[in-house]
Amino acid sequence: MRIVVLVKQVPDTSDVRKLDLNTGLLDRDAGEPIVDEINERGLEAALRYKDDNKGTEVVVLSMGPENAIKSIRKALSMGADSGVHIVDDSLAGADALVTSLAISKALERTGYDLVVAGNESTDGNGGIVPAMISERLGIPLLGFLVNMEITEAQVSGERQGDDGTANVHAGLPAIVTVTERFDYARFPNFKGIMTAKRKPVDTVTLAELGVDAAEVSSLDRTEVISAVERPARTAGTKIDDDGTAAATLVEYLATNRLV
Amino acid sequence: MSHVLVLVEISHRGHIADSARGLLALAARLGDPVAVVATREPLADDVVAKLGSLGAAQVYQGRSDAAGTALVAPQVEALAAAVAALSPAAVLVSHSYDGREAAARLAVRTGSGVLVDAVNVRAEDGRIIANGSIWGGNYLVDSATTGMPVITVRPGAVDESAPQASAQVTAESVTVDAATAGVIDSYNDAPEVSERPSLLGAKKVVSGGRGFGSKENFALVEQLADALGAAVGASRAAVDAGYSPQTTQVGQTGVSVSPDLYVALGISGAIQHRAGMQTAKTIVAINKDADAPIFEVADFGIVGDVFTIVPQLVEAIKARSA
Amino acid sequence: MAVMSQYQPPVKDIAFLLEHVVGYPDIAALPGFEHADLDTVVGILEECGDFMAKVVAPTNRAGDEEGARWQPDGSVVTPTGFKEAYQQYVDAGWGSVPLPEEFGGGGFPRTIGLIIQEMMMSANMAFSLCPLLTQGAIEALLHYGNDELKQRYLPKMVTGEWAGTMNLTEPQAGSDVGALTTKAVPRGDGTYAISGQKIYITFGDHDLSEQIVHLVLARTPGAPEGTRGISCFIVPKFLVNQDGSLGDRNPVHTVSIEHKMGIHGSPTCVLSYEEATGYLIGEENKGMRIMFVMMNSARLSVGTQGLAVAELAYQQSLEYAKERRQGRAIGATEDSPIIDFPDVRRMLMTQKASIAALRALMLLNASYVDHSLHEPDEDARKRADEIVGLLTPICKSFGTDLGNELTSLALQIHGGMGYIEETGVAQHVRDVRIAAIYEGTNGIQAADLVGRKLGVRGGASVREFLATMREVDGQLADAGEQFASMRAELKTQLDALEQATMWIFQNGMSDPNAALAGSSPYLRMWGLCTGAWLLARAALAGQATGDPEVAETQLVLARFFAEQILPQCSGLLPAVTAGARDLFALDASQL
Repeated sequence: MRIVVLVKQVPDTSDVRKLDLNTGLLDRDAGEPIVDEINERGLEAALRYKDDNKGTEVVVLSMGPENAIKSIRKALSMGADSGVHIVDDSLAGADALVTSLAISKALERTGYDLVVAGNESTDGNGGIVPAMISERLGIPLLGFLVNMEITEAQVSGERQGDDGTANVHAGLPAIVTVTERFDYARFPNFKGIMTAKRKPVDTVTLAELGVDAAEVSSLDRTEVISAVERPARTAGTKIDDDGTAAATLVEYLATNRLV
Repeated sequence: MSHVLVLVEISHRGHIADSARGLLALAARLGDPVAVVATREPLADDVVAKLGSLGAAQVYQGRSDAAGTALVAPQVEALAAAVAALSPAAVLVSHSYDGREAAARLAVRTGSGVLVDAVNVRAEDGRIIANGSIWGGNYLVDSATTGMPVITVRPGAVDESAPQASAQVTAESVTVDAATAGVIDSYNDAPEVSERPSLLGAKKVVSGGRGFGSKENFALVEQLADALGAAVGASRAAVDAGYSPQTTQVGQTGVSVSPDLYVALGISGAIQHRAGMQTAKTIVAINKDADAPIFEVADFGIVGDVFTIVPQLVEAIKARSA
Repeated sequence: MAVMSQYQPPVKDIAFLLEHVVGYPDIAALPGFEHADLDTVVGILEECGDFMAKVVAPTNRAGDEEGARWQPDGSVVTPTGFKEAYQQYVDAGWGSVPLPEEFGGGGFPRTIGLIIQEMMMSANMAFSLCPLLTQGAIEALLHYGNDELKQRYLPKMVTGEWAGTMNLTEPQAGSDVGALTTKAVPRGDGTYAISGQKIYITFGDHDLSEQIVHLVLARTPGAPEGTRGISCFIVPKFLVNQDGSLGDRNPVHTVSIEHKMGIHGSPTCVLSYEEATGYLIGEENKGMRIMFVMMNSARLSVGTQGLAVAELAYQQSLEYAKERRQGRAIGATEDSPIIDFPDVRRMLMTQKASIAALRALMLLNASYVDHSLHEPDEDARKRADEIVGLLTPICKSFGTDLGNELTSLALQIHGGMGYIEETGVAQHVRDVRIAAIYEGTNGIQAADLVGRKLGVRGGASVREFLATMREVDGQLADAGEQFASMRAELKTQLDALEQATMWIFQNGMSDPNAALAGSSPYLRMWGLCTGAWLLARAALAGQATGDPEVAETQLVLARFFAEQILPQCSGLLPAVTAGARDLFALDASQL
């Protein structure tokens, strides 16, 4: 079984993230680049299957600038077997349509039985690329899983919905997205870090993936028309509780017709 | 005017999703709203009437035997068929679990750009522009696509309603390729525990942090929420500690809310939490640590003990409404 | 894993020192370290730091509040979270990094091992003592154990599955280890029956590992008096079967554990040996030599504890100073965070600059350890070993003295809150206090510096090192006006240090008590000068990086230290050269 885990390198959410107001794109220099945590959870799920099932191969696939290799190495040090890095200058600022095209082509090239993605990234919050990949590859998507069971022939689990969850399954090959209900990832261990250096990473460009420039330009593009930084909120009244604070607050809420 | 498609999600119990009203309202602003649904059986009269009352002049029903068992695919087929039939100016879909996936799959079919998580849309110079806030409202972004946009709209973002209409139903059979869809085996509906509103789109939210110390103490959050008629939220720390279910998590990696009132109880206000709530109209914070960062964004802050103040608040609010 | 942590591992600072100040690339170029290039090392340290911050640091408070507990059945239970964190530590393999590959280690330089220790000590000093003592026992076995002992014990000690301890002290034998009376009677089958009581045994018993390997100093029948009659034994908690599995419980029991001022999470045990089975390491009566092997290494580690706990306390006080608002700073129109007040700035800068100096000093020492073991050229190895000998007492004493002083400053910044246990900063003051005491008190370190290290090669060793320190003068002269004050101060203070050294050379032989009387202030002069010297090198290196932020930070730290801390050095000169007169002028009854 070959499980491909999609990994996105994002700015650490505990740093202040900046938008380049001219391009409307993420300022990648602002914020420490890290593996998006949701992808680490996905990787952990894949690695647990591998722990219990010899012969499982876990591949991490990332699209991103050259320094995204760091995130791939991190995933390798946690136990993935190999990496695929799609890096191409023309992908800077790529929207979901283009991203999903490039990743789908890379998945076809690498081969897969199961693709594991995060439900949404912390820098884009779109949550649409995995569904686009499923459409492009013509494989079922089990999105927003809160748990997952993998067998030789199928993947199943509970899918989060608006009014509860649904039990869902799909035959392999398939793509799933995991939610925060999945466990935190393991820490890389020392031996893992050392062996990660020797694990293969396949670096590919769009041309090598056979992505045709004409195909890309035939797609509609999304563009940022304007972006403005919202003025920071300012602190309002702050009082120390002297026993009457609750009453004062209720008055405040009443004045503002919030109660 | 051109058509604007709205994907109306209908639950397995036959309920029209709450998002339909706002989506149809936005669609009415841009053109003629068409409600697109995917169902197995013909639509019941009351459902059609309801869609009309929400502003749908036309209902496009994609009928499929797979509806209800194939995951999202029937909605994608219904949307694709409707797009082919009606050549709409835009497709509006809720930024919900099913909605996003349907929007994404449709966009690949039509080669369209997707504008995600919009809180507003407008037509300007012949283009449809989506407005959204990103990173917890730190930035407001207008975006558009070069062709017909597929737009996902943040649940609860739209207050208005479309003028009522009388809905005409067009039914078409659509075919789902079973090999490309996940299968729904059964539903585990959340128990309807209370009249408490759901977090998504709630007008008022009361959230608790790790300061409550235990799941039992966290009941205080629920008591204040119920007194205010608010939804219950939680910080990630409180969720990680098991005081509140993960679905209540407000923040960067949880739910983003923009209520009229957000009450943060015992929440320090880490940057990731603030990202999920700082677009609230009014923020109230109670925390015993006077230096907690939550106070930097609070319109009204109380430095004090939640265990003392919250019961007093509940009493005072009950006394007012009595 | 998204656990909030108080501790931010200073990996960037460390990487800078490795690359630009202590010459790590030269170590990586030594034979056997081909796999340990700087990039690899920094990658490892980032992950290790992340681990320490997220897994180990969260156990620090519980460790202090609960403490280790002695159970009525004689067993010892560690505080909440220790066991799980230790298991993860073993799984992650962090203890094995600097140990030989032959026994399952990573074969990395000692320098890297010390950095891992530093980060673990910052995360939780009490917890870190278990791996630290294990490493001490490993080193003794590596150097003096026979093959059978090595094969039997080392692999599992290297992984951390088995822990180790060091048993030196007895009630009547503390600083004077030669007074110990524990007996080791040969049984005729190659083993010895060990009997006696040992005190202050760090992690003498616990529930972190399945096996504990005690290293015990004892006397065989008829052995000479004093340190010349001490032998070193391995006494496992459980006897080890031929197949490597654990067998019978060896009769070594925990009689009690101490109630200490700090490091509550670390069980300090009184161990009673009742004819326990022991295995001789090396030869009879050569136990002290084995102890000396470990001593440099352990003393450097303890010096690093001072640095590590100071770093943690500094981080906490910096956060507090940014958030706490009190009064208005000059020119402010609303209440100011206390970091805006000059005196608070002074306390923060004193901490930051001193920590930078200490870290450079510890890493320099560690780098010479690596050179002393791995240089192809014998003379180079010898010289490196001399420098290790010289720097070790300085690192131990200066590191732990500053550990006490800097944690106290961190507490001071917290004001009244600092004195209240809930704030957590008081724990650092209590925890680090022991570091100036154990592993040879700081007074003993000073005596070692004056009594043993100054005399190496008739004083040539020290003089050569002083000359090396002076080489920075030319580079400072070339570096421009910004470096002028630092250069001048360094020259003045190195002159003072040299003057003090000359005085000891001239008077030490004839009046050893006079030299010893000034030994502690003398050691501090060394600490101040080496610290300022290394910071000056860091400032030069910062300038050379071309990164304006790095250049500014390094320059300001070095200048602040040189102008405002280093001048204490010449102020100590009178104490060094005063002799013992007034120390003994009053009778004990008059004191």
